[in-house]
Parts: sequence; C-alpha cells; structure tokens
Amino acid sequence: MPVKRTFVGSVVALAAFVSFTLASTPGAAQTSGTYTPPKTREGQPDLQGIWQVLNTAAWDIQDHSATLGVPAGRGVVEGNEIPYTPAALAKKQENFKNREALDPVNKCFLPGVPRVTYMPYPFQIVQQADRVTILYEYSRVIRFVYMNGNPHPAGHIDWYMGDSRGRWDGNTFVVDVTDFNDETWFDRAGNHHSDALHVVERFTRTGPDHMLYEVTIEDPKVFTRPWKMSMPLYRRQEKDVELLEYECGAYLLKQEWDKPNSQLFR
Amino acid sequence: MKQWLFAILGTAAAVLFVLPMTGRAAGGEPQAFYRPDTPKFPQARTWVAQKAELPPYKAPRTPDGVPNLQGNWNGPIGGGNDDLEEHDYIDVTTPPQESYVSDPPDGKVPYTPWALAKRNEIRAGLARGWPGETGQRLYGDPNALCLVGMPRLSFGAQEILQKPGAVIMLTTNTYRVIPTDGRPHMSSSAKSFFGNSRGRWEGETLVVDITGLNGETWIDSAGNFYGPNTHMVERWTMVEANTIDYQITIDDPSLYTRPWTMTYPKRRAGTGPGANPLSTTAVGAAGNVGTDPYAKEFWEQTCTEGNHDNLVVLKKLGFKWFNPPTP
Repeated sequence: MPVKRTFVGSVVALAAFVSFTLASTPGAAQTSGTYTPPKTREGQPDLQGIWQVLNTAAWDIQDHSATLGVPAGRGVVEGNEIPYTPAALAKKQENFKNREALDPVNKCFLPGVPRVTYMPYPFQIVQQADRVTILYEYSRVIRFVYMNGNPHPAGHIDWYMGDSRGRWDGNTFVVDVTDFNDETWFDRAGNHHSDALHVVERFTRTGPDHMLYEVTIEDPKVFTRPWKMSMPLYRRQEKDVELLEYECGAYLLKQEWDKPNSQLFR
Repeated sequence: MKQWLFAILGTAAAVLFVLPMTGRAAGGEPQAFYRPDTPKFPQARTWVAQKAELPPYKAPRTPDGVPNLQGNWNGPIGGGNDDLEEHDYIDVTTPPQESYVSDPPDGKVPYTPWALAKRNEIRAGLARGWPGETGQRLYGDPNALCLVGMPRLSFGAQEILQKPGAVIMLTTNTYRVIPTDGRPHMSSSAKSFFGNSRGRWEGETLVVDITGLNGETWIDSAGNFYGPNTHMVERWTMVEANTIDYQITIDDPSLYTRPWTMTYPKRRAGTGPGANPLSTTAVGAAGNVGTDPYAKEFWEQTCTEGNHDNLVVLKKLGFKWFNPPTP
C-alpha cells in the first residue's frame, strides 16, 4: 500500500547531505584520478548502463574463509573492522549463528542499501536531469534517487530501501540515504544496523567500463563511529546484455506451498 | 488483490474496515462501492467506437526521432480487471462493465473447449461469493501472493521513459526494460513472469513482442489464464496528446481457437474522464501538486514484506498453488 504523503507540522529540513571526513585509505585512492566520463544529454556525468560487482560481499562484507557454497573473500570494509558497540557485536554473532533462519533476504524481503548493490545480480542505472533510477535484477527492486530540490521528507519513515536524495560532486554521484527500518542486514553473515542508519554512497566512473562505489555507514545506535566500504563496479560486457528476472518471492512460495511444515506459513 | 482476499473472508465488516485504508485504486482515483444500478463501465466496445471518430494524430518526437510516449499513464478506468469479459454487477467491488476484448467482436476469450471448461472450473472455485461457485476453494488469484505478470502489469498505472534503444516502464515497485535496438529474443525455453520483450517502432506505434512467458499468473482476477506457450504482442499508440491506445493480442493455439485482442485507452495522469487534474502522478498514491512538494515522487511500496498474514490465511483456507493447466 502506498505510503500516504501527508506532512504534519513544519517540514524540518534534515541535514540532507552530510559529508564525512574519514581517514583515507589506500583502497579508495585506486582510481580517482583523471578519468573524465562522457556526459548525458542533460550534461551530467553518464553512469548509465548495466553494472555488477565481482566480489563476495553478499556473503560477508569482511574477510572470510570459504565454507560449502561460499567462496573465500577479501572484505570490502576499509580496514576490515566494523566498529560495533559491545551489545551490537553480540547481536551480530547471534545473527551469524542463526543466519539461515534470520537473514531477511531468505524471506525474499527487500535487501536494503547498500546490500542490494553487491548482491550477485546486475543492475541498471537510468538518468534523468532531476532523478536517477536504479533498476535491480534481484526481485525487480527499484530505487528512485531524487535531485529535485526536496530534502528528505519529515521523518522518521520506516523503509527497507530508505529515502535517497542525490547530488553531483564533480564527476561523483553522491546519494544520501535515510529513513530505514531496522529489518535489513548488510550481508548473509548477520552484519546489521538500526533504524538510525544513515548511508552515503558515492559513484565515480574510473574508466569506460569501471566505476568506484564507496559507502559511508553511520548508525550511532549500533556503531561507535562511521565506517566505510568500497569496491569496483564492472560494466557487463556481454553482447545484448539485459536485466533478466529473479522473482525471489515467487520461487520461495512455489517451493514452500505444499510443504506440510513450512516455516513460511507460521 | 486485497479486494479479493476480503471477499474470501466474506465479512462485510472486514470490507468496511479495510477499504478506507486502501482507499485508492490504481491511478489514484477514489475507490467506490458499486451498486447493482451503477451504470456499466465502458471498455473495448465504447473505446473502439470513440477511437474511430478521432482525427489522425502524430505524436511529438523524442530527440531520437521516435514517438514520445514519456510521462505518467493511468490504466483503464472502472472496476479494474476483476473479470475481463462483459458482465453485470457482481459485488460491491465489481461493477457492471463492458469486455476488454475488442476481437473477437463478441467480447469473449476464444478458449478451446477444454480450456473454457478449465477457466470455468477455476472460476467456480474462487470462493469470492460470486454466482455459480461450487463452494470449494481451488486457486486464489496469484496477484494476492504478490505474483505479477503480463499482461496485467499494463492494466495498472506506469511511467514511461525513453532512452536510445529502449523503452522503460516504471511503477513504484517494478519495471520493464524493453529493448528497441533490434536484438533477437532469448530462447523461448527461458520462462519468466514478464517474458522476454522486444520492441520496435511501426510509424506511430510501439510494438512489443513478448515470448518466454511462464503462464503462472492470470489475465484478470477471475481465472482467465494463459500458458507457457502463449505469445503476446502489445501495441502502444498515442492517438491524442493525453491518450495512448493500448492493444494486446494474445495467441496460443493450445488454449485459444484464434488470436484475440484486448483494447483500452491509457490516459495521462490528471486527464481523462473523472480525473483529478491536480494528480499528476498516476503511479502510487495521489498527491496534490499544489500543496505537496513530494506529490510527484514515487515512494517505496512493498508487497511480500507485509503479506505474511495473507499467506497464512490462504494456506489455511486450502487454496492450491496455481500451475498453468495443460490439456
């Protein structure tokens, strides 16, 4: 059901775009440089096309060893450590133990941001002058990033994918995301957040077929300080590549419908 | 979807309690309770006659020189696609309505005999409290399980965007990307809910050829069905500044005796009969652009995430999983 758009009282302009000054790390510098991307018809850096990560962050955003069905991987967290509070760290460990039952993605719920970016499915960026739309193959998730002058709406709103507001910082597309619920995870390993999550994403073209994706995570209820992820995005090269269909919810229901003791219907 | 579930629950109290909360139909028009004396909603028959009277129209062009279909478009007005064939008043959410079928001229889906029997069997097991039901529960509308497919997506409102080589159709929670660059279809053995769409421009018309459909959703909520071998061709033509003539031809020799076509107008948001001119966003809740700076934005709309209780009810009531029928 669409959320009713009624705003009571004065609209408090939330600090829409907060920039963080974090200690820069070698990983983030791999690319910046000098590449000048082509421009769209509207004159903005052109990020359009079909992109995908090539990493193991969907399973675990930190360094991890292999297990059955899970490739070993280098993490995407800068410095590898996630600065949980002690209670939040305990919850992460509990989540990890019970990840099959608890991971919201195993129920085919919307995966949240930034997790949707590094799931192993392609996504397509479509630009207009005042809006960037990101279409994800996974469950046909769709994100609208507005650049129409509106600040984040007066909140708090509990959304799986949050409220995204974009701006251009030179050739970098910066997306400020707030208004999350506390029901999504960062990966299959149980890394989690609260509804106070604030995400800042930075998309920077680094070449014809590459883009740097950097994320700053802030959540004072769960982390003792902001922290960062970064990873490259790769343009899909196949001839006639297009987004196909992964209807998670449909496949899950079809599999579970006739199981006598399915947890899905409890 | 919700209307259908409430019909199962079968209590007026549930309907009265919930409709005020859901009180917007696709297109942002106010939801109504219909009565036996509600005038019959016009669909294909009326629209085909109206269309014949329109002067020729040439749509504005995009920078790529093709007709510009961009904007927010509503689905057909009326009681939705509860039953796509012509019918009288059925219940408070299903008013009398002409058929969406423009060909054959009788407005009926030209099922083969076994497929018609199957459709009637499905319909008799809907447990909606409709006339002719057996009282047994067979299948629920797949839409109530958050399953969306063609051609039902086009019955709703959407925004159309055009990019070189592609037409993109957006709702608040799903999308289609239709390549128009001449690429071939994928193998039709690869099935999906939306199928594999390939577009081309024929003069004023966007023609979309759809193969690879899985047939696991319905054409309406009354059990009219297609299958994994069904081929659909949509034709999107601007016939006035604010009207798209939408036609879809559905063909499957294993189910139908001949190809058949549904036709209806899609009106630009804020225009057309009964529209609120301040409602410029067809997709999602109607906002007032005069007072709400967010009225033109699409905000998050979930389905699976909030559908657990519905699933439990449907399971407990004994509805079966719908697989496309075969002879």
